[in-house]
Amino acid sequence: MTAQRRKQRTALLLLLPALVIVLIFFGLPTIFMARMSFNLHPDQRLFVPGFTFEHYGALLSNPVFTGAIWTTVKLAVMASIATVVIGYAFALIVWLKPPRWRLLLIGVALCPLLISEIAIIFGWWMFFPKNGLLSYALLSLGLVNDKISLMYTEFAAFVGLIYVTLPYCFFILLSIFDGIDRRLIEASGDLGAPPLTTFREVLLPLTWTGLLVAFSQSFIWTMGTYATPSALGPDTLWTVGYLIQEQMLGKHNWPLAAALSMVLVLGVAAVMVLTRSLMPKRASYHV
Amino acid sequence: MSDVLARRGFEPVMLKALGAAFIVFIVAYILIPVLVTLVMSFNDAAMIRFPINAWSLKWYQDFFASPQWTDALKSSVIIATGTAIISTVSGILAAWAFERFPIPFKNALYLLIMLPLFMPGVVLGLGIAMTFGGVQIAGVNLYGSRALVMIAHSLWAMPLVFMLMEATFRTVDYRVVEASYDLGANPLRTFIEIVVPMVSTGVISSALFAFVISLNEFVMALFLTDRDTQTLPVLMWLSLRSAGTPRLAVASVILALTVFACLAIIMVWYVRQLRKVSRN
Repeated sequence: MTAQRRKQRTALLLLLPALVIVLIFFGLPTIFMARMSFNLHPDQRLFVPGFTFEHYGALLSNPVFTGAIWTTVKLAVMASIATVVIGYAFALIVWLKPPRWRLLLIGVALCPLLISEIAIIFGWWMFFPKNGLLSYALLSLGLVNDKISLMYTEFAAFVGLIYVTLPYCFFILLSIFDGIDRRLIEASGDLGAPPLTTFREVLLPLTWTGLLVAFSQSFIWTMGTYATPSALGPDTLWTVGYLIQEQMLGKHNWPLAAALSMVLVLGVAAVMVLTRSLMPKRASYHV
Repeated sequence: MSDVLARRGFEPVMLKALGAAFIVFIVAYILIPVLVTLVMSFNDAAMIRFPINAWSLKWYQDFFASPQWTDALKSSVIIATGTAIISTVSGILAAWAFERFPIPFKNALYLLIMLPLFMPGVVLGLGIAMTFGGVQIAGVNLYGSRALVMIAHSLWAMPLVFMLMEATFRTVDYRVVEASYDLGANPLRTFIEIVVPMVSTGVISSALFAFVISLNEFVMALFLTDRDTQTLPVLMWLSLRSAGTPRLAVASVILALTVFACLAIIMVWYVRQLRKVSRN
């Protein structure tokens, strides 16, 4: 009994540094933010202690905020669908390729993971505008007659967002594909199923869990980011993340910034719970 | 019969062509921003525009001659090193506890340690900035200090180290550990002298991953640094907002080179360990 207790004490001691970091620098700030979101915000002051639902009311009634929440969800859904589709096709091809191709393609897929988001933004920032590479390439090929710019469009924002989330989706799905017996595909083909039927009846059910995890990963990430859409997208593309930053650093309205953050926290939690509930019982994947 | 043959012959060819086209598309997609940045960093002009008419190393000289940019690079490396140390130590100890000890509420604790990884950087940064904004330790403002950024980055890096090390510890042959106990070594000595060398590749990889995460992160750092402690990605973000010059491309290249150097170290280490194993 005492040996057992001593073991538990050692375990707690070992866990202590990690728990201190998580509880003090994540748990405490989250509680602090939750409380802050109910504080008052009179003019010219960061915040005044109090209790009001005013900020949450504003989030639900002010068209700027409801619009931003809607934009964020819409952007996250669309970018995640695109990411999962591209990532799925990419992972499927890499899975089917012979090994020497595989290593090369995995190396390419690692690139966006290793490069800072700011460097990625800047890379696309030089590609899309009037004097950028895209315009120059199309002009020299004679495909367009005048300089064109895709900068500050929703398309540019999507290209950037998908770029950042693609590797996560790819690696999650590739690990799922690697667990599948390849002979299943051959068997299905030998039994006379055309590729599309094999895909629908064999591959899709086997990779369902991976698809779910990849989608929710990508959704959570896209929902929380603001740098890529605000740097590449149009000026009106206001996401919740962008408004948090604006309220905090620009307008110094702490309670409202906190309330917006709580919306993001709840959004992440909702996606995680939803993914868990959609997952088959036996799957042991952690979301 | 011929109909079936035709279909079976036609579809694979079409699928193959589609697959090849897709690979070209995806490789181009991933490499475009990388190559554009690399090319632009050797541009001679002060403006970002294509075509590039003259080449030079001018912007590299400019980068290293500017104290603002070299200070930011230094700050980035210091913060990334700190993050790597903090998250590797805490992550390894936690993973060891999870692997070898009975822990009450194991699933809840697991979720708690992993949770920050799923939180947006803007939320983590904001929370820490609000909570520790006015806190002073021994007369030094916590806010704006590099230590606070290190801990903030550890919220993302530590769960990753934890996950990686948990998987690594599962591969350890624990009969060797028991033997060490039987020979009279205490748990701490066993851990440092027996276990750590066995999992050195995992330790090195997780430390370098933590380093890379911190080096590249800029949203939390944006909330938590001031002019004196700002990191390279933060400075890049702020100057992109005002005006983009080839200097930014140089900064991107330097950031990426640092990351790839880390990757090279992991690979060299891994090959060395493999050789060691095969020699034995």
